[in-house]
Amino acid sequence: MSGGYRFPSDEPLARQVRFTFNERELVGLEGEPIAAALLANGVRTIRHDDSTGEPRGVYCGIGHCFECRAQVDGVNGVRTCLTPLREGTRVASVAQWDVAKK
Amino acid sequence: MNDACDVAVVGAGPAGLVAAIEAARAGLSVTVVDEFPWPGGRLLGQLYTDPRSHGRWDGRKISRQLAQEAGELGVRILGGATVWAVGRDLSLELSGVPVGTLRPQALLLATGAAERALPVPGWTKPGVVCVGAAQTFTNVHHVAIGRRVLVAGIDPLALSVAMEMHHAGVDVAGVVLPPVSTTSGALASPERAVARLADVADLAPNGLLRAAARLAAGKLSPLAVSALRFDLVRVGGVSIGFRTALVAVEGDGRVESATLRSVAPDGTLVGPERRIEVDAVCISAGLYPLTDLAEIAGCPMVEVEELGGLVPLHGPGLETPLERLFVAGNLTGIEGAKVAIAQGRQAGCSIARSLGRATLVSPEDAARAVSDARTSSPFRFQPRIAAGRAAMAELWQQAIARGDQSA
Repeated sequence: MSGGYRFPSDEPLARQVRFTFNERELVGLEGEPIAAALLANGVRTIRHDDSTGEPRGVYCGIGHCFECRAQVDGVNGVRTCLTPLREGTRVASVAQWDVAKK
Repeated sequence: MNDACDVAVVGAGPAGLVAAIEAARAGLSVTVVDEFPWPGGRLLGQLYTDPRSHGRWDGRKISRQLAQEAGELGVRILGGATVWAVGRDLSLELSGVPVGTLRPQALLLATGAAERALPVPGWTKPGVVCVGAAQTFTNVHHVAIGRRVLVAGIDPLALSVAMEMHHAGVDVAGVVLPPVSTTSGALASPERAVARLADVADLAPNGLLRAAARLAAGKLSPLAVSALRFDLVRVGGVSIGFRTALVAVEGDGRVESATLRSVAPDGTLVGPERRIEVDAVCISAGLYPLTDLAEIAGCPMVEVEELGGLVPLHGPGLETPLERLFVAGNLTGIEGAKVAIAQGRQAGCSIARSLGRATLVSPEDAARAVSDARTSSPFRFQPRIAAGRAAMAELWQQAIARGDQSA
């Protein structure tokens, strides 16, 4: 495996699209789950736990554990492992319930 | 938007897609819903060579073919749709798609399975993932979960995924036993792991698993393991630690290392801790049927350990005690995709008949195809699956005798 986290593939890759994670500009593949695009860019921590502040990332990869949730295009609590990446998708690690601040 | 159809299928995996095809062939209008945007379910990550047929099993290709076949038969597949409620009239409440409520005449739940959690200190750190997630990221998305990965779990799925990652170019630091805990129980004992592998020695669908299984069946037999002096067995470039277990994961904000300890043959931790540098850990603790929707629908549930835990009570044609509610695939017991496909066909036929339609496949042939698939399957996730199926048949007979069955 070379520098990146993305494996070389024999298949034609999907179109490259630009997206942002916490306002940082990144490049991913159109239609891949946002979580895969983040991982390919070396992003492991998707959010911090609402009460403890501990970092969290992908765990189950099938939408069951909700650990990979983020704010996507302004909508909170979106599971990034199930949500396809599009050109211009804005991803942010917003605390969903803001428990600590209340 | 409200929507009516003859048949709704929850789960676009192998069972759901094949059932949809079969029901559509019988002339029924079918809608399949799945949370994942693309059809295929767990098929998507599967890639191996079947040692019996020597054919390549490419789950992504099969998914595409099944979805295409379904589409040609007029089946509507709604991807990205979450079912959040099932009514007593079998109506489905959906989110994520323009359809709000789906009102079918008959409902098939093919919701599959989820992975058991096996907590170990540090398991919530970014970089610790389930083995199924590792498989999907490796084989479907072609993204590495880490540069140097430890796999915790010595079972058919974990060994397959370890080899797939190794072949993809990930440095697999080793495959060790899962954490020893009250939840893992015997899962973490070398004796159990070896017995489990010996069980699949003839069937193993890839080199690493096959070699490990042969070792297990031979010199690492359950009797020999207690006398085993060495710990690491190196197979196909991957080290398997039959006498090593994961005890903790460390790192500041992400996985930086894993702590391992030796394990006595009975599963007791012995000796000092040792630490290896890894940036990802993949935990395999087994699968359990995803029963939420069956429970919400009001289907009676039964605990059958050999099937993977709590499962909906169901009959020989995959019918349930609720009229026109059917179940198929891993929801009925943890097995491989070939069994799920055969069950899908059987459920599709049962549904068609329940709605007064003729089917090309007889109930007997459909049932036989399921047993055949079970016998020839290259994966056996639950060692005593046949006993589990027999137990369910018995429970169903008892329910009928009590008059529980409404159908």
